[in-house]
Amino acid sequence: MSRADTIVALSTPPGRSGIGVIRLSGTRSLSITRTLVGEDQFTPEANHATLKKLREPESGEVLDRSLVTFFKAPHSFTGEDVIELSCHGSPVLLRHLVDIILGQDARAAEPGEFTLRALANGRLNLSQAEAVRDLINAQTNAAARQAARQLGGELSARLQPIKDALLDIIVPLESSLEFVEDDLPEVAVNTVKVKLVALIKDIEALASTFRSGRLLREGLRVTLAGRPNVGKSSVFNKLLLADRAIVTDIPGTTRDSLSEPISLRGVPVLLTDTAGVRASADRIEALGIERTRQAMADADLIVVVLDGSEALTGEDEEIFSDVAQSLHIVALNKSDLDSFHPNGYERDGAPVIAISAKTGAGLDDLRAAILRPFASPDMHSAGLLITDARHFDLLRRARASLESSAVLLEQRASEELLLVGLYNALRFLGEITGETTPEDVLTQIFATFCIGK
Amino acid sequence: MSFDEVFDVVVIGAGHAGCEAASAAARLGAQTALVTLNLDLIGQMSCNPAIGGIAKGHLVREIDAMGGIMGRVIDRTGIQFRLLNRSRGPAVQSPRAQADRALYRKEMRRTLEATPNLHLRQGLVVDVIIDNGRIAGVELQDTRRFGAGSVVVATGTFLNGLIHTGLRTHTAGRAGEPASIELAESLKRLGFPVGRLKTGTPPRLDGRTIDWDAFEPQPADERPVPFSFATDSIDQPQITCYIGYTTNDVHAAIRANLHESPLYSGKIKGIGPRYCPSIEDKVVKFADKDRHQLFLEPEGHDTNEVYLNGFSTSLPAELQQELVRMIPGMDETRIIRPGYAIEYDYIDPRELTPHLETARIKGLFNAGQINGTTGYEEAACQGLIAGINAALSVQGREGFRLSREESYIGVLIDDLITQGVDEPYRIFTSRAEYRLALRHDNADARLAPYGKEIGLVGDTDWERFNRKRDRLARLHAALEGIRLKRSDVTYSSLSRTLGCDLGDSVTLAQLAQRPNVSPSLIQQLLPADVRADTSLRDLESALADSLYKGYIEAQRATFDRLHQHDGLIIPKTFDFHSIGGLSHEMVERLERTRPNTFGQARRIPGLTPVAISALLVQLNLQSRAA
Repeated sequence: MSRADTIVALSTPPGRSGIGVIRLSGTRSLSITRTLVGEDQFTPEANHATLKKLREPESGEVLDRSLVTFFKAPHSFTGEDVIELSCHGSPVLLRHLVDIILGQDARAAEPGEFTLRALANGRLNLSQAEAVRDLINAQTNAAARQAARQLGGELSARLQPIKDALLDIIVPLESSLEFVEDDLPEVAVNTVKVKLVALIKDIEALASTFRSGRLLREGLRVTLAGRPNVGKSSVFNKLLLADRAIVTDIPGTTRDSLSEPISLRGVPVLLTDTAGVRASADRIEALGIERTRQAMADADLIVVVLDGSEALTGEDEEIFSDVAQSLHIVALNKSDLDSFHPNGYERDGAPVIAISAKTGAGLDDLRAAILRPFASPDMHSAGLLITDARHFDLLRRARASLESSAVLLEQRASEELLLVGLYNALRFLGEITGETTPEDVLTQIFATFCIGK
Repeated sequence: MSFDEVFDVVVIGAGHAGCEAASAAARLGAQTALVTLNLDLIGQMSCNPAIGGIAKGHLVREIDAMGGIMGRVIDRTGIQFRLLNRSRGPAVQSPRAQADRALYRKEMRRTLEATPNLHLRQGLVVDVIIDNGRIAGVELQDTRRFGAGSVVVATGTFLNGLIHTGLRTHTAGRAGEPASIELAESLKRLGFPVGRLKTGTPPRLDGRTIDWDAFEPQPADERPVPFSFATDSIDQPQITCYIGYTTNDVHAAIRANLHESPLYSGKIKGIGPRYCPSIEDKVVKFADKDRHQLFLEPEGHDTNEVYLNGFSTSLPAELQQELVRMIPGMDETRIIRPGYAIEYDYIDPRELTPHLETARIKGLFNAGQINGTTGYEEAACQGLIAGINAALSVQGREGFRLSREESYIGVLIDDLITQGVDEPYRIFTSRAEYRLALRHDNADARLAPYGKEIGLVGDTDWERFNRKRDRLARLHAALEGIRLKRSDVTYSSLSRTLGCDLGDSVTLAQLAQRPNVSPSLIQQLLPADVRADTSLRDLESALADSLYKGYIEAQRATFDRLHQHDGLIIPKTFDFHSIGGLSHEMVERLERTRPNTFGQARRIPGLTPVAISALLVQLNLQSRAA
């Protein structure tokens, strides 16, 4: 239980809603709730919801009927006494209740403070706490699924065998140094080498999922670009599945860039529609075109939209030269028109996808083509992905440390030198889940060897 | 208060911690009394008649470099010197020597008696006298009272000692000596948190009844490496030890009699050391091993007594005799003294400051097994630090401490006071983050300047140290400066001998890193004047410096980044409750240890990473506010 102050926060988004949940954590959670309920002895059964009237402490006037759930320390999310009040979702009521609680020796929780307390009290490890953040921030189903797996401890579980395998190398080496007078089996260089190579491969395999993992977590920026009136906004609306951008047949209707998040097969994509690029323009349009160039520069991928019913124009050629250095594909629009010609639009080997923003033909091909340059085979597999750059970096360092040990092993260097890299790798892996494990080694030594001269 | 005698420092117990403490305090000018139950058993080796071993040997050399006495005494009384881990890197090599047990005692007593300001007193201390929260003296069973400004408690296994042989128990501090019951109670009354530990010892055999031919000889090193930097040569004649093995029959007999074992019948509650298991433990926990190694170690030149290393046991004495006879080569062997287990009290070392002073009672210091350690070397180094600080304290001088980065002694004390113990604590090289920097052969470079500054290292030793430092500097200059080029005659002959290309040019230091290049080969390549005034041992030291240099620098860079806040001082008045979001358990762990620095707090076991970050944030906030 915490000696520290009790914190309170509205845990559901502000605004009108069916219900709103107020959460308290800390030693005073229960006593504050008693004041709200107006019963000195009120002791709800842990992990059960109890329907209670919440009252104005001074007057006893009933404010709301609320479901009160008590999570008793240490069996709560934060590891402290936690109370959740599920009230009716009136912003006025909820604000008033929080104010009453703040007047009862609680303070407003800082962002993420509930999770921080869970971490401080050992209820979560670091990678799990990061997963809470990722789960809340997930923009697509697939990203949420990955975060949920990490929260469930899957990353720690995936790392455990790696750490075990590493200890399995460290322990005999360390024992052979510390217990020279004991009758221990010789450490065979070849065995160590085989284990080390397997370990490096395993870490590499895990680290390589970051390509997909980052995609799921951070997503892509995709910008639609093209000369005026080729149908960029229509393509934009079609990909959005909503009429977000204004579409007319007047060239230059889109004056400003417009961005909306979409999900492409679970990958969060920030899709940007832009003003058509052309030379002759008024001042407002010129500003819009400037923004277009910015959006093109920021994009992970540019979709160049062309009008397939017309031959390439000088403006089209100019756009091609603008995107030559960027990753891009071509969406050849207006395949529904009789005058549509699918050939002669290839430049720099960029794939050309025939589509019709009007009928929706070819849009699935377009979606696939957008993801193709980023896709890797594991993206939709059942496996756990590394989604966090911090984790990826630590895995990379762990691998590099092991590789330096492998080189020393090759040179038949003495154990204490090999062990430097092995311990570094262990520390890097431990940093992912936020634990350090120096005692692990000695514990293992005693468990696996009969030591004692 | 009236006292029979008044001293500056009183040391209770003349084991390995007590001797070192008394010697250090006296040589720092403090009038020091060393009180022991039996003056004839000063420096007694209760268990194994050996000093040193991996990491333990490092400790002894550090004690010596600081001006302690253990290294010199064992150098004069050691009858089998061996450098362990010779085939491995210099950082993990460590000297070990078997002692003539009786000679060691005699030499230790002679050393202490030759020390000015040091007064030996025989008696049993039953109480510590406290005045106003500060130590004032001790009271003896014979009613004598000694006044003291500082007291070092170095009672070993004597506090509430209880010996087990089979299911029979009796109170004792060691076989044949009384336990210290009243002092244990007196310390408990002062509120010290007391725990219980266990250790054990094997039977001693009559060497005339052993068939020595049945065992494999283990000779001493031809070139013994002494412990003391002051020792030029080892003069004791060197003996051979022997190696043998238990058999499945022995194991079966032990298994059949486990009900007679106090360990397995649940009688012993204290926790024993995992790395020094009894033979019962080995047989039970490693049931698939069909033999366990034994060392037969003669206890001295003038005795038949043989120490059966590896056969620690608390089974009944008759059964021990039967088991020993089942060992091949011991059909006729007789036990002189049976093995036994002993349980004893220890005081939670988290009570201590880095000076080994108790936070509870000013002027009271604890050293050795009372702090939960095991081993003569672990005890001695604590005795040294406690003795130094006991004297500094009465002299009103600032306390002395060593850091983890510069010494194994620092690692050991820091581990004790931040982590406490849950089993008898032994030093290992893997406990030191800077293992590669803490070599046995450079203990003087690391610590002699401290010894000099405090006043423990005398002029002769200091001059010797300076000469060595100069020699090593010249060596380093030669190793880095001398470059063999392709055009040199030596280059081509070397390249031919080694069977590989050496690049356009190579320094001697680089050459030495190559496999198949021995230090003696490098020695021959040194200029005549450098070669003339440096020994092979000097050269090995210098080469070890260059071997590890790169690693140590890389490691320091990593650790500096990781532990950049370690030096941050936690004020004595700091309120751990003031840290937001910390659970009661985290606060309790911090309060129990009361770390002095952020680095110490970081090493407290069970503190979650976020709790540690929260502490750091709070410390920074407060120091900014101040």
